[in-house]
Amino acid sequence: MESLARPQATLVDLLDRVLDRGLVLNADIIISLAGVPLIGINLRAALAGMETMVRHGVMTEWDQSIRARETEASKVSQAAAGCNEQLPLATAVSHQ
Amino acid sequence: MQQVIAAEIRTQAPASEQAGCYVYCVAPAIEATGLGPTGIEGREVRAVAHNGLCALVHHCPAQPYQSDDAEVTASWVLAHHRVVETAWRRCGTVLPITFNTIIRAEEGSAEESLRAWLNRECPRLEERLRSLAGKAEYGVQLFWNIAVIGKKVAQGSPQLRALEEEIRSKSRGLAYMYRQRLERLLRSEMEARAEEESRDLYARLDRCVESIHIERAKRDQNERQMLMDLSCLVSAERYPELEAELKKVGQREGLYVRLTGPLPPYSFC
Repeated sequence: MESLARPQATLVDLLDRVLDRGLVLNADIIISLAGVPLIGINLRAALAGMETMVRHGVMTEWDQSIRARETEASKVSQAAAGCNEQLPLATAVSHQ
Repeated sequence: MQQVIAAEIRTQAPASEQAGCYVYCVAPAIEATGLGPTGIEGREVRAVAHNGLCALVHHCPAQPYQSDDAEVTASWVLAHHRVVETAWRRCGTVLPITFNTIIRAEEGSAEESLRAWLNRECPRLEERLRSLAGKAEYGVQLFWNIAVIGKKVAQGSPQLRALEEEIRSKSRGLAYMYRQRLERLLRSEMEARAEEESRDLYARLDRCVESIHIERAKRDQNERQMLMDLSCLVSAERYPELEAELKKVGQREGLYVRLTGPLPPYSFC
């Protein structure tokens, strides 16, 4: 049961909170932060890049397995019922 | 003569190294001894106390932290979090200050500016600290497996089933158009379901937490899609209720709940 596992906060969980939340002090006593928000943008871009890479790898594999399954399915259906179009709903869902 | 001494002092302890005061958090003045060399880049974390309050700080040049290296910035963010978390665990309540808040010297030192600020804001800060005592922040994220829910929605919708049945009898070209209709219909039913699930979770949480912030759910093209990202302020005695509610939601097919925490109340100060 996932909600009981209580996963440790990840860097992404902390990033949002440490960078964007917390008390903000009046500008007149803190040093100028011009240009500093870049810190968050750079870091998030790096993390997003990582996620995209992971996703790309995962999805490519997933697409291949789907295609393989569809080929199998169409072979079966063609053998059984001529050349009816096979349109499983799950396929429509996955293309959202 | 005085001028000469001042100049000597400046060369002994370069003013630039002490010109700023990086603030991690404000806490009740229990933590009056500081936290040792646990700050960003191993800086000494000191407590600047004023009345019943203290701010945990390190001294640094009056320059914001900046780096193009994601690993370096990540280590700063983690160090900041560790200081806030340690203070929070020791004091029971804390007001986290946002990353990269560096107080500059005005008339005297940066530390004097900080004390003046603590003095000015004292009633407001004490009030906030009191209201956050005994409470923790939890992240609650709701996901669904789009393939599992999609199948359930499709099977449960007579309209969709009829449309699918109809497609089977159509020619290739017509089937393509019908397929697009099918997809549109499925999508709108999925959207309605997503809203329903989100509202349901929100209502359940609303009954057992002090406060909820809705964050922007992260977009992800995985099969597992985030529907909602919430930050909740929860009192220690009501935490079991929160867990019980999440358990109920997580037991439903195709839905997942991710609970993160306890965390210092970053989103509630």
